[in-house]
Amino acid sequence: MPKLRHIAIAAEDPEAMAEFYKKAFDFQEVGRPNGFLADGVFLSDGTLNMAILKFKTDQLGKGMDYRGLHHFGVLVEDVEEFTKKLDELGAEHYIDNSQHEPQPGNFEKKFYGPERVLFDIAEHAWLGAEPLPAEMKEAAE
Amino acid sequence: MPKLRHIAIAAKDPDKMAEFYMKAFGFKEVRRGDSPLAYGYHLTDGTIDLAILRFKTDQIGKGMDYTGLHHFGVLVADVDAFAKKLEGLGARHYLDESEGRVGGFEVKFHGPEGVLFDVSEHPWTGTAGLDEDEAAVREAAE
Repeated sequence: MPKLRHIAIAAEDPEAMAEFYKKAFDFQEVGRPNGFLADGVFLSDGTLNMAILKFKTDQLGKGMDYRGLHHFGVLVEDVEEFTKKLDELGAEHYIDNSQHEPQPGNFEKKFYGPERVLFDIAEHAWLGAEPLPAEMKEAAE
Repeated sequence: MPKLRHIAIAAKDPDKMAEFYMKAFGFKEVRRGDSPLAYGYHLTDGTIDLAILRFKTDQIGKGMDYTGLHHFGVLVADVDAFAKKLEGLGARHYLDESEGRVGGFEVKFHGPEGVLFDVSEHPWTGTAGLDEDEAAVREAAE
């Protein structure tokens, strides 16, 4: 089964917010993404990647001042296969990471699902996120 | 280490949205509920609870029409210890689950920039517990 492995928060001050979650829950810093869409801090609890980001574009249509939970990401075995499935289910493809400067350990494709909720899919784990259970991966290979 | 175990989405039509994520990713429905706070579904990927909810109050100050990602939840070994720690770090305590229900949030806080999150010491229904060594710590504390 695909796994929820990424959660992104839109912050005005990613540094201060990341510091809070590091102190509060001992989440570990695993990266400093600096991409065409956002800058910020990647944290990990050992299973999920928690991205605390200052976005550079209005991906949600809620304005550049939007602060709060932004999107989530699902780790899948095969991005192309899931792209077809999501299209068939009516999700709207938004953007591919490969269209710009691909950053390993980040999203691969973004979609808008029902009610324009934004989510990512990737077949390579986000930085600091746990891979799919080995037996599932082996079965797929 | 505490674990991210819950993601909540605010939806106008939770039935339809839950159906989408079950079909898309094979997530399983573990609970459907209608409480004073929200109506909706709890799905699981085996590790994380994905709640798709129509909220009945404006918990995040974005208005009752807000749809989108709403809050997250962290499973901790000891809610009281973390409540003290979080308040010490400047988080604002918002709400306690008062009915003694297990399998959902236990305490809600607003963290930096007003971001809402839950802490619980019992796993959300259908989700993984803390790592074994941490479970041992929790048992020792009880």
